[in-house]
Amino acid sequence: MTTKLSRRDFLKLSATLGGFALTPSWMPRMSFAPQGVEPAGDILVVVFLRGAMDGLNAVIPHAESRYYELRPTLAIPEPQTGNDQSAIDLDGFFSLHPSLRPLKDLWDESALAIIHAVGSPDSTHSHFDAQDYMERGTPGEKNLTTGWIGRHLQSAPWLNESPFRAIGMGGIMQASLRGPIPVTTLTSIEDFHLQGRTNNLAQLQQNMASLYSLGSNFDSIAAETFSAMNALSQIDTSTYTPEGEATYPETDFGMALQQVAQIAKAEIGMEVASIDIGGWDTHNQQGVLDGTMPALLSGLASAISAFYRDLGERAKRVTLITMSEFGRRTYENGSGGTDHGHGNLMFILGGNVNGGKVYGEWPGLSAENLYGPGDLAVTTDFRDVLSEVLLKRLANPNQQNVFPNYANWKDLGILKNG
Amino acid sequence: MSSKLSRRDFFKASGILAAGMALAACQPSLAEAEPAYPTLAPDPGSASPPLTDEALLLHTLKRISFGVTPAMLARARSIGLDAYIEEQLFPENHDNSEVENLLSNLKTLTMTAKERLDLEKDAQSIQELIGATLLQQWKSPSQLYEVMVDFWTNHFNIYIVKNQCRVLKTDDDQAVIRPYALGKFGELLSASAHSPAMLVYLDQATSTRRAPNENYARELLELHTVGVDGGYSHEDVVELARTLTGWSVTGFRDRNQEPGQFSFRRQAHDDGQKQVLGTVVPAGGGIEDGEIILDMLAQHPMTARFISTKLARRFVADDPPASLIEKLSQVFLSTAGDTREMLRTLLHSDEFKASAGQKMKRPLEFFISALRVTDAKIQRTPRALTTYLRQMGQMPFFWSPPTGYPDYAAWWATTSGMLNRWNFALLLTAGEVPGVAINLSTLTADAASAQDLVDLLSIRFLSKKLPSDARDILIDFASTGSLDKNLPDIAGLILGSPHFQVR
Repeated sequence: MTTKLSRRDFLKLSATLGGFALTPSWMPRMSFAPQGVEPAGDILVVVFLRGAMDGLNAVIPHAESRYYELRPTLAIPEPQTGNDQSAIDLDGFFSLHPSLRPLKDLWDESALAIIHAVGSPDSTHSHFDAQDYMERGTPGEKNLTTGWIGRHLQSAPWLNESPFRAIGMGGIMQASLRGPIPVTTLTSIEDFHLQGRTNNLAQLQQNMASLYSLGSNFDSIAAETFSAMNALSQIDTSTYTPEGEATYPETDFGMALQQVAQIAKAEIGMEVASIDIGGWDTHNQQGVLDGTMPALLSGLASAISAFYRDLGERAKRVTLITMSEFGRRTYENGSGGTDHGHGNLMFILGGNVNGGKVYGEWPGLSAENLYGPGDLAVTTDFRDVLSEVLLKRLANPNQQNVFPNYANWKDLGILKNG
Repeated sequence: MSSKLSRRDFFKASGILAAGMALAACQPSLAEAEPAYPTLAPDPGSASPPLTDEALLLHTLKRISFGVTPAMLARARSIGLDAYIEEQLFPENHDNSEVENLLSNLKTLTMTAKERLDLEKDAQSIQELIGATLLQQWKSPSQLYEVMVDFWTNHFNIYIVKNQCRVLKTDDDQAVIRPYALGKFGELLSASAHSPAMLVYLDQATSTRRAPNENYARELLELHTVGVDGGYSHEDVVELARTLTGWSVTGFRDRNQEPGQFSFRRQAHDDGQKQVLGTVVPAGGGIEDGEIILDMLAQHPMTARFISTKLARRFVADDPPASLIEKLSQVFLSTAGDTREMLRTLLHSDEFKASAGQKMKRPLEFFISALRVTDAKIQRTPRALTTYLRQMGQMPFFWSPPTGYPDYAAWWATTSGMLNRWNFALLLTAGEVPGVAINLSTLTADAASAQDLVDLLSIRFLSKKLPSDARDILIDFASTGSLDKNLPDIAGLILGSPHFQVR
């Protein structure tokens, strides 16, 4: 940041000159990057399943009979050939919920890996604390406000001045993205422009920019906004046809992933996209083969499957992970649901995943192996998985900046190098 | 520069960016002192204390309302700021007939929960409650009261879309939030704990001694009373869940009693001895078990601190001064949590007076204030309007986690957040927001020049003239063609400007 004109300075300058018609400073890509230093890693897509997904009913340990004892009415029937109302066997021990069927092909192609009994070492059962810890990457510590992705972007050994470096889909900025690197939040590509009386938009935009160049608290965020508008205006969404005959579900999540794919293909400097899916807090009537949770699983699986197909060859430079703040209680409650638990699972999808395997040490469901009030134990710290993503796929060697006080992380071998 | 709202600047100032730029050589320490939220710099126009009487009056009116109208300003100037604050603290003395008249069209407000459920249109109760809420924020003379209704609605957040909350939240609004919005915290807490909507939202209604559900018990501690740092353990949560077993809601299929009401199910209650935060609940108390713990929580010093912090964050600054939190905690403890007394102390405090410009309007406050200052008229149901609020991310009752909408600028100052504000401002003044009519020319009838036009609109929207740099930009723009033609755009630019984003 020494002698270079920062993107914000540039924008301020161009705003003063009324210069928003100019090509944004960061196009062509990386014009300000130090010579020969470009983002070296994959595009990372983080899907946060808010509310705590019931991992035990998503990837079922069907070979452990205790599972069926703990969940007399909620258990997913064990795999049965030819029966699509039963779990889908993966490796003889674990199986997929039938609503996750689209993931089975990805599993068979080795594009998908699962880490089970993964989570945070902190024992909290609070959604808000657990999400915060996980998104900050600092379990049990509340005095660091930056998120783990924010620190990754901050410490990565390259410069990328694109406002799309980090994107919060759904119009919100996830806590994991918090940090000094600006984030663009996006509801959709096509709506991201100035509206009003259409005969006069250019002049309006120029005057609005001028009002935000006088030293107010909001000048910097306004400059980011104008820059982002210009770039997205160059992506055509109306004629988009996904590759690989992919069909995205017409859910918020499906549409968000489709737009992430379009932005990836537009090559405008995106390094990270973060997407939330809510509704996983299934205390009540969560459903077995149909209902609330199966519908959520189905939406998740069909969208990420379409995303992978649509990316085609690009999938080799994309890694998608799912996270959830904690798992759910091993035994069902009296309301047809499950209470807050501890260990959960993560999915990892991409062209460089050593897929077709469930990673982690299975702690078992017998009473003496459970954690706290009856929860699945955590045998893999989520930071182990994220550290591996960071080093092997995001090409950022500064693991200790991203996960302070967690230098001795464990490499599970989920991902291929570089 | 150091305290302005740019994440990059903020982190630069706190030394973290510098640390990050050193890359691998650096070992960041978790002990780095950071404020919880980046705070806004004082408003350059009015921040060098002490404020003039007029500046203090304007600062106060902005903070205690959903937007300063000429009528409010005139009233406050005529009776004086202190008397105006007192007047706002007693909404029961206000003439609310205009609003009541408007609300009388919303039929579900006076229905029972059962009647709402039986309506053919399932979402009608949701739409009408949102409509009623926006109308009251927009039109009510009791502005401070409406601000506090919004504050407690978020504190005791209920996601209206969850299960029967769609028909029960209306009762919660009428029987819990509104009656106690300026009252004693303990009464409000108790009303909320007996509120069917809350018990459904946080799964308390299905919690029994055989299968206790911890959700409500946890949030009661973490979000409603002592706060996440309130010193409770998982054991306390479990014990509180046991204490509250049987607190439930009458079923909608039950023909023997009025459905959707609070009900204590004795047979579902765990009657053993419990202990929560050191308070022992003797065995056999039935419903009294819960009342004992609610009383204890309502008077707890950590509750006093937690509520005081949130109130100060709402009215003063995102990262409010510790001295003010301490002061408010004392008032809370000495008045049994009297909200009116806390507000009185807060609004007369030095910390409040020194905080001009330090709160960004959230989308709801931006949205309602734009409608108020433009003297917008509703042509149709306000339902069409809610599309915009949804896009901006702050539709009332639509925040699903029990935390309530965030109350700090860093959450809302995003690229799409800014764009949505600009677009609403420009569409509103262009007359392109469905269902809303504004007549800008009546606001600027006397304008003979571009200067007049800009000044009249600024005084109308901001209660004062724009600073000369911004004023010059708009005068230049207004001078490029006919005043009539440029009027909507000038108005939209002022509503979209940084000056209108500050509360």
